[in-house]
Amino acid sequence: MKSLARRRAIHVMVVYTGGCNGCDIEIVAAVFSPVHDIEQYNVMLTWNPREADILLVTGPVTKKIAPALKKIYEAIPEPKVVAAVGACAINGNVYKNLGGDLGSSWELAGPVEKIIPVDAKVPGCPPRPEDIIAAAATAIKILSERSD
Amino acid sequence: MATEDDSYAEFMGKGKSREKTFETEIPIGFNHSALLEPYRTRYFVEDEIIRDCEIEVDPAHRGIERILQGMPIEKANIITERICGICSHSHLFNSVRTAEIGLGIEPPEAAVAVRVLGQELERLHSHLIFIAHACEVLGHETFAYRTFLMREPVMQLLYMISGNRVHYSIPVLGGIRPRTQIPTWKGEKILAAMDELEVELKKFIDRVLSDIMVMARLEGVGLCDRKTAKKYHANGPTARASGIDFDHRSHMHEYEDFDWEMVVLDEGDNAARIKTRALECLVSLDISRQCVERASGDSDVLNRDWETGRMPMQHGYTEVPRGELYHSYALNDQGKIQHYIVRTPTMTNLATMEVACIGDQLTDGVVTLASCDPCLTCCNRFIVVDQSGKERLMTPGDLRGG
Repeated sequence: MKSLARRRAIHVMVVYTGGCNGCDIEIVAAVFSPVHDIEQYNVMLTWNPREADILLVTGPVTKKIAPALKKIYEAIPEPKVVAAVGACAINGNVYKNLGGDLGSSWELAGPVEKIIPVDAKVPGCPPRPEDIIAAAATAIKILSERSD
Repeated sequence: MATEDDSYAEFMGKGKSREKTFETEIPIGFNHSALLEPYRTRYFVEDEIIRDCEIEVDPAHRGIERILQGMPIEKANIITERICGICSHSHLFNSVRTAEIGLGIEPPEAAVAVRVLGQELERLHSHLIFIAHACEVLGHETFAYRTFLMREPVMQLLYMISGNRVHYSIPVLGGIRPRTQIPTWKGEKILAAMDELEVELKKFIDRVLSDIMVMARLEGVGLCDRKTAKKYHANGPTARASGIDFDHRSHMHEYEDFDWEMVVLDEGDNAARIKTRALECLVSLDISRQCVERASGDSDVLNRDWETGRMPMQHGYTEVPRGELYHSYALNDQGKIQHYIVRTPTMTNLATMEVACIGDQLTDGVVTLASCDPCLTCCNRFIVVDQSGKERLMTPGDLRGG
C-alpha cells in the first residue's frame, strides 16, 4: 500500500550546485512546460527536502555549496534516489577537466559522487528534457524496488 | 585601504545600516523555492516591512576567467559559452566579436545575420523564462505554465538551428558554424513560428495587464527611480524600465541595418520591469524576422582568411537579455588568452534591487529581486577578507586597479 501510494506521487527536488544554469532550466522546462509535462507521470517538483523522493543534482558542486548539498541529502527521508544530471554533475565538465596556464578550476569540491552517493546519471551538456523524463522513469523503478 | 573600503560600503548602500540592529533577520537561500539559483538574501524586517537587505552572491564561483588564462582563443571561445546556460550565445557572441574587432576579421553578412538571430531568439526565451519565473514567485502558476508553453517553440527553433537546446555554439571566429546555416526551409519554419508566437504573446500580455490581482501586487512595488538606477548603474531592461534610454544595440555595428525601436518606460516599479521585457519580446520577434530574410540561402557563412596573433587588450560590449555584457582580453604571440575579464549585467542590477526592495512588504521583496532577472552563475567574483575581518566581493574594477 505504501509503495503504491509512493509510486503515485513522486516528488523531485532540484539542487543547483554552481553549474551554468542550463541543466537546471531544462529540468524546470521538463516539469513546467506543458509540452514535456513530467507531471503526467505523477512526478511533482518540490523545494522541500523532507517531501522529496528523488534528488536531482546539477552542476559541479563548488566548495561553498558542498556542505549545503550534504545537509539536503541527509534531510531527505528513506528510501531516496539521487540522480546526477548533466556532464558537470557526472565529471565536472569543462571546469574540472580543462585549463590553460593556471590549470583547471580549484573552486570545485565535486563531482557529485565525491559528496553524496549517486544512483543514476543523466549525461549531456545539457541533457534534453526527454532524457530527464527517461531518467525520472528509471529512478522511480529503483525507488519502488528499494521501498519493497 | 580603509577609505577605499568605506567608499565601497557606501556604494553598496550598506554603510550606515550595519551599525543598526533590526528586529528580525529573515535569511533566504542558498536553496529556496523562490530563488532558482544559489544566492543568499538576508532581509532585515520590522513588522513585515523590509528595512534592509543584503545579498551574498558567491556560491557559484567557478573561476572561469582563470581557466581561460593561456588557452588558445578558438578553444576559449567555446568555453565562454559555459559561463551561463541561459545567455550562452551572448557570451560566445561577445567573445568572438571581441577577437574579431581586435584582429580585424570580417565575418560575411549572412553569418552576422545568423548571429543576431541567435541573440534575438535567446532574448525571447530568456525574457519568457523571466516572466514565467516572476509569475511563479508571485504565485500565479497558470501564467507560469502558459509562458513555458510559449517558450517551447523558441527552444525548438534553436534546437533546429544549432542541434542543442542550450549551448548553441553558433559563432566561430570568422563567421558561424556551417551546421547552423539557415536554408530556405528553416527560414520558412522560423517565420511561421514567429507569426504564431506573436499572436500568443499579444494575447498573453493583454491578459496579464488586465489582471487586477496580479497588477495590484506589481504596481508601485519595488520602486527604483531614474536617479537610483543611474547611481547603482542599472543596465538593460532594468534601467530601461526606470527611464534610462540606453541600449547597446543602438551602436553595435551588427544591428546597424535593422529597424527596431527601444522600449523605455518611466515607472520603475516591478510592473514596469515585467512590461519592458514583454514588449522587448515583440521587438525581438521583429528583428528575428529581418534576420531570416538576410540569412536564408546558401551564401558563404565562414571567412577562413585570418590568423591569430598578438592582440592588445580589447574590450567588447553587447546587449544581452539582462543588460550590458563586457568581455575583455588580450592575446599573446601564440594567440593564447591573457587576462580574460567578464562583467555581467546582474552584478549591478542586483545591487540596484537590493536598494529598491527597502520599504516594501516582505512578500514583495522576493518578487522585486526576481524582477531584475538575476542570473547568478555568471556574476560571481572573488571574496577578499581583509584584516578587519570584513568580507567583500571584488569587482572587475577593483582587480584592474590593483
